[in-house]
Amino acid sequence: MTEVQERSGAPHTLPDHDRSAVTPTMPRKPIFGLRTPVGRPQRVTSAVAVWALFFGVWMLASASGLVNELLVPAPQQVFATTWDLFAHRGFGSDVLISIGRVVVAFAMACAVAIPLGVMMGSFPAVEAFFNPFVSAWRYLPAPSFIPILLMWFGTGEAPKLALLFIGVIFFLITLIMDHTKNVREELVETALTLGAKRATVVRKVIFPAVLPDVVVAMRQMLAMAWTYLVIAEIVASTTGIGAMMMRARRFLKTDEILAGIIVIGALGLLFDLLFALIYRWAFPYLRTQR
Amino acid sequence: MSGGQSALGVRHVSKSFDLGKGRTVEAVRDVTFDVEGNSICVLLGPSGCGKSTVLRMMAGLETPTSGEIAIGGRHVDGPGRDRGMVFQAYTSFDWLSVRSNVEFGMKINGVPAAERRERAERFIQLVGLGKFADAYPSQLSGGMRQRVAIARTLANGPEVLLMDEPFGALDAETRWLMQELMIDVAEKTDTTMVIVTHDLEEAIFLADKIVFLSSHPGRVKKEIVPTFKSGRVADKEQLVRLSGYSDLEGELMHMMREEGRGHE
Ligand SMILES: Nc1ncnc2c1ncn2[C@@H]1O[C@H](COP(=O)(O)OP(=O)(O)OP(=O)(O)O)[C@@H](O)[C@H]1O
Ligand SMILES: [Mg+2]
Repeated sequence: MTEVQERSGAPHTLPDHDRSAVTPTMPRKPIFGLRTPVGRPQRVTSAVAVWALFFGVWMLASASGLVNELLVPAPQQVFATTWDLFAHRGFGSDVLISIGRVVVAFAMACAVAIPLGVMMGSFPAVEAFFNPFVSAWRYLPAPSFIPILLMWFGTGEAPKLALLFIGVIFFLITLIMDHTKNVREELVETALTLGAKRATVVRKVIFPAVLPDVVVAMRQMLAMAWTYLVIAEIVASTTGIGAMMMRARRFLKTDEILAGIIVIGALGLLFDLLFALIYRWAFPYLRTQR
Repeated sequence: MSGGQSALGVRHVSKSFDLGKGRTVEAVRDVTFDVEGNSICVLLGPSGCGKSTVLRMMAGLETPTSGEIAIGGRHVDGPGRDRGMVFQAYTSFDWLSVRSNVEFGMKINGVPAAERRERAERFIQLVGLGKFADAYPSQLSGGMRQRVAIARTLANGPEVLLMDEPFGALDAETRWLMQELMIDVAEKTDTTMVIVTHDLEEAIFLADKIVFLSSHPGRVKKEIVPTFKSGRVADKEQLVRLSGYSDLEGELMHMMREEGRGHE
C-alpha cells in the first residue's frame, strides 16, 4: 500500500478496484541483487551511463588539454569528421565495398561449412575423413596467408575474399559439426523407428534441430570476419574502410582513423542485431521455451 | 492381426556390449518370450536388468549378439515403421507444431496429405490434445509432450508400439491419466504394445502379460498373466480394489527384492 501512495504522490485513497490491482507489490529490489536479473529501465540506464561516462572522460581530457589534440581529437570533432566523410568525401562507397566483401566471403564460407559441418556431425565416416584436415587448418592464423595470397591473386578482390574465407571457414565447420553431434540421439532414433531413411533423418530431423545453433555460430563467426576484413584492407587495399584509415594515417588525420573505428564498430553492432532479428523471426518456437 | 496369435517373437536372444579394450558386458542372456497380437506385454525387472536393451533390439536399434527377433514372422533387421517406439526422454520435434509432429511419420512415408490430416486429427483427439494442435511442443507440459509422442507413433500405424518407461518422468497424477489412456488406445486401435517399466502398479494395470527379467545378465525369470483382472480394467481405482491385486503386487515386490539382494 505504501508503494501506491508514494507513486501517486499525494496520499489520497484510490478507488477500491484500482487498489486491489496494485496491492500485491513486491518488496523493492536492491540495485545490486546477487544474481537477480535487472529490470529493463535499469538495464537501459546502465547502458547509457557507461557510454556517457566514456565520452565524458574523453571530452574532459580533450578540453583540459590533458592529451595531445593531434593524437586524440575531441569526440565532437570525430563525429563531425564522420559526418563530413559520408556527406562530402564518398566514404559511403568505401563502407559499401567493405560490407560487400564481408557478405560475399562469409556467404561462401557458410555455403561450404553448413552442409559439410552437418554431414561431419551426422556421419562419423565423413568426420573421420575431413576432420584431420580441418582441425590442422584451424591452427594456422589466417593473416599468415596474406603474402602468398597477394602473390597468387594480385591486388584485386580475390585475396581479400580468400583471407576472409580461410579465416572463418574452419572454425565454422568445427562449430557446426560439434552442434550437430549434440543433436539428441533419441530424436534420430525416433525418426528411424518412424521409418525414415538416413538421408531423411539428416534433412528432416538433424538439420532443423541444429539450425538455431548454426545461426548462433554464424553470428559469432561474422564478428571474426569483420576482424579479418580490416586486416586485409589495412595491409593490401586501396578501397574499403581499412584502406581509408591507412590513408588517414599518412596525413596524420587521427580524427578520420577514429571515425573509421567507430563506423566499423557500428557496422558490427548492426550485423549482430540483424542476426538476433533473424533468430527471433526464424525460430518462433524457441521464444516460449522454459 | 487377430488376437491370440503371436505378433512378436523373441527367440534365444543374447546381447553383449563391447566396452572396448577387449572387455564386454553381457546385458541379456538367452531371452525367449512371445507377444500375442493386440495384447499389452510389460517388461518388468530391477534397474539395469536389460529391459531397455531387449526393447531396443525389438525396435531394431540394437542387434542381438545371438538369437532372433521376428515380427509377424519377418526377421527384425534394423528399425522400421512397423515398430513404433516411444522413449522416456522427450522426443518432440520442437520446430514443428503438434499437428506436424503427429503427421511426421506419415509424411516421410508418403501418405497423401488429405489422409494424413485426417489421421493426425483423429490421434490428436484420441490423446486429448485437440485444443493444442497448432501449438509448439515447447508450449506444452511434460505429460502433453509425451502424448504428442504417442500420437505421432500411433498415427504412423505401427503393428507394434514399443515404449521404454514412457511415463517415468511424469508426476503421479499425470501418470495415471496416461496409463488409462494407453488402455483406451489399446482398446480402440488394436495395437500390440510392449511397455518397459519398473513401476509394479503400472505393470499390473497395463499388462495382459508380464515378462519378469532377472538381472546381470537379464534372463526371463517368470511370465505372469494377471488373470485376476479377467480382461482389462479401464480405471486405476477399480484395479487396486480387485481381490488378487495385492497378492500379485506382493509377489512381484518379492521378486524385485530377491533380484536386488542377489547383488549386494
Ligand atoms: N550402449 C551400451 N554400452 C554398454 N553397456 C550397455 C549399453 N546399454 C546397456 N548396457 C548395459 O546393459 C545392462 C542393461 O542395461 P539396460 O539399459 O537394458 O537396463 P534397464 O533394465 O533398462 O535398466 P533401467 O531400469 O535402469 O533403465 C546394463 O548393465 C548396462 O550397463
Ligand atoms: Mg532402461
